Amino acid sequence: MELSNLSHSLNLLLPELTLSIALLVLVLFDLIFHHDKKIISYVALIGLLATGFFVINQFSLSGFAFSTGNESYRNFGMITIDSFGSFFKLIVIVASVIIVFFSLSSDEIKKTSERIGEYYALIFGMILGMLFMISATDLILIYLSVELLSLSSYVLAGFTKLRERNSEASLKYMIYGSVSSGLMLFGISLVYGMTGTTNLYMINSLIQIPHLNLFTFSFAMILIFAGIGYKISSAPFHFWTPDVYEGAPITITAFLSVASKAAGFALLIRFVKITFVSYIDTSGFWQLIHVFDWKTLIVVISIFTMTLGNFSALWQDNLKRMLAYSSIAHAGYIMLGLAVLSNQGLTAMLIYFAVYLLMNLGAFLVVMLIANKINSEEIDDYDGLGYSSPFLAASLAIFLISLTGLPPTAGFIGKLYLFVALVDANMIGLAVVALLNTVVSLYYYVRVLKHMYLTKPETAIPEIKTSKPNTILVLVLLIPIFIFGIYFTPLVDLAKGCITILGL
Amino acid sequence: MSLYDIIFYLFAAITILSGFIVVTSKNIVYSAFSLLFTFFGVAGIYVLLGADFIAIVQILVYVGGILILLLFGVMLTNKITNVDIRTGTIHVLPGAVAVGVLMGLLLSAMVWTEWKTQPSETPVTTTVTLGRLLITDYILIFELLGILLLIALIGAASIARREQE
Amino acid sequence: MIHVGLTHFLVVSAILFSLGIYAIVTRKNAIMVLMGVELILNSANINFVAFSKFGNLGLGGQLIALFIIILAAAEAAVALAIVLNIYKTFTNVNIDEIDNLKE
Repeated sequence: MELSNLSHSLNLLLPELTLSIALLVLVLFDLIFHHDKKIISYVALIGLLATGFFVINQFSLSGFAFSTGNESYRNFGMITIDSFGSFFKLIVIVASVIIVFFSLSSDEIKKTSERIGEYYALIFGMILGMLFMISATDLILIYLSVELLSLSSYVLAGFTKLRERNSEASLKYMIYGSVSSGLMLFGISLVYGMTGTTNLYMINSLIQIPHLNLFTFSFAMILIFAGIGYKISSAPFHFWTPDVYEGAPITITAFLSVASKAAGFALLIRFVKITFVSYIDTSGFWQLIHVFDWKTLIVVISIFTMTLGNFSALWQDNLKRMLAYSSIAHAGYIMLGLAVLSNQGLTAMLIYFAVYLLMNLGAFLVVMLIANKINSEEIDDYDGLGYSSPFLAASLAIFLISLTGLPPTAGFIGKLYLFVALVDANMIGLAVVALLNTVVSLYYYVRVLKHMYLTKPETAIPEIKTSKPNTILVLVLLIPIFIFGIYFTPLVDLAKGCITILGL
Repeated sequence: MSLYDIIFYLFAAITILSGFIVVTSKNIVYSAFSLLFTFFGVAGIYVLLGADFIAIVQILVYVGGILILLLFGVMLTNKITNVDIRTGTIHVLPGAVAVGVLMGLLLSAMVWTEWKTQPSETPVTTTVTLGRLLITDYILIFELLGILLLIALIGAASIARREQE
Repeated sequence: MIHVGLTHFLVVSAILFSLGIYAIVTRKNAIMVLMGVELILNSANINFVAFSKFGNLGLGGQLIALFIIILAAAEAAVALAIVLNIYKTFTNVNIDEIDNLKE
């Protein structure tokens, strides 16, 4: 690799570099300022904002970085920068900034304020892993970034560790996670054996050879999917989700449910598109190379995932656990967008993710604020909350309505675009299944509203007061849900401009 | 049958037999010690494949690091004087059948798949080339691994440290 | 008897992989499951090294194996820290018995 090539590559990697430097600064500051740890949170915030700045700067940029090997495939790199990746990176960074604000007001995290430096260092490790997952186009780099994300999140899931269920969440997450990433690695090794490379672009051109053993190749793909499916918590790799989401500190739960999932989906989409699409026809449909039937796999898994998520959510009495199942169901909906295998489906997924970020983080934020005061996430403790703390209850109600997908909230727009994409691709049966699922989900979301507004509490509960910054944070998440629910053109335009995945 | 073949079968037998003991032994301490031989056997296989540097790293890191960690884990979490170490196996028969089927499929895949093969010359020593690759083509992964190790260090220290309270 | 070739190495790796899966499926003890994962990682590593030798792919496969060994060490360190931590809380490391979360 020549120096000019290196400097070109580093230029494309500015967000990741900034984040790594911020990580090191965090570790140093944690050592220097061990009396007043307040400063650490601000350092983290500044690091994230700088990273966000570089991500936004990159929106118009595209290119390959860190190309490996000899002259014959110099064009492709380990990293691909394109608008699709920048969109997902922005989602991750926005979610991270919100999570830092979450952490500032979370009682769980305040109790461990001595270790706040470690907390943010690990969160930065997660973010770095996600950024690389989003733009990696080399199987080894993909595996490594997944591991970086996993290692930090295993620890964070059990971070507060004073409560038993935290350590428990951590252990379950770690055991199942290391198994799934081990399977993924074995799959990668098989692909390496069949094609002789780990670069996705090279694999794309090599799997078109006639004598590829389809059985071994499909086996390898299923193993690789196990690793990615674990990250996006799709069935049948979802079983860790409820336990971990319930047991982890709520800031981490919210972060996992949005950012980690976004990174996993970005990885899945990029993997499928770069590796398997032979060409895109004039109406925007992706024509796959006939070596592995991704369409059937994704359709089956998405139906399975959303049905399972929705039906299990029906019986949950713990709000965190219910939101965990609901996030599994949402992963199923989002997968529908991929099952369409078209540019339209991809646009719908991007829109859905932007909306999902707001409403899911919002729901978790309100649950956290309530848990800070009443120290419980049980649905029975929410009785009469609509009258004792009208603001929080109303915001939670709106977030949940948006998660259901009812107008005039942004959640409706997200679902609408997904369904339209399905119908346009003549997958009406699938759209009906998704619609029925939405109806089921209405039941458990409304159940919370019923508890808040219609059930009389056994004992009178005092009003839950929220501080000014927290009120503002709730409003910051709440207002866009209405804005995008009515005036959604800018969001749709942004998504339409961000479907370029380089290489095709 | 050449000497190469004999050595291969020797190492393969060590690897597989000890691996079998690892997964079937009722006593977790036996499992951990048996894993030592598995790692050694794999290191021997690396040597046969011309990967001398990897073989050394395998012994240093796996045997010297990971295995010691696992043993610490075993010793610290089980009173080894107590005979009844709870590693009771569940669903042995269905598990064995399922894994047997999986192994059959995998073996047939391994044998029948047309892998990418070419006659090759392995260099006498790999260290120089590996080092060069590490700071050229794979520099990004190398640097990322550095960060990953830092994160692992912070994470492990953070979670294993005793709470002051 | 045929000369030892790629297939022989792959067979060893396939058997190691299956043994790893067996450990994961049938054992409850967290550390045993981790050992199973180590077996899987080793089998993948044998694949990488063998493919890079017999496919004349340069030393890329060996380097990947090196990365994976390092990564396995990092993962084992974090994993053992978590197991120790939970042992302090529960004094027991069997996955199935840790079931506070299921209600």
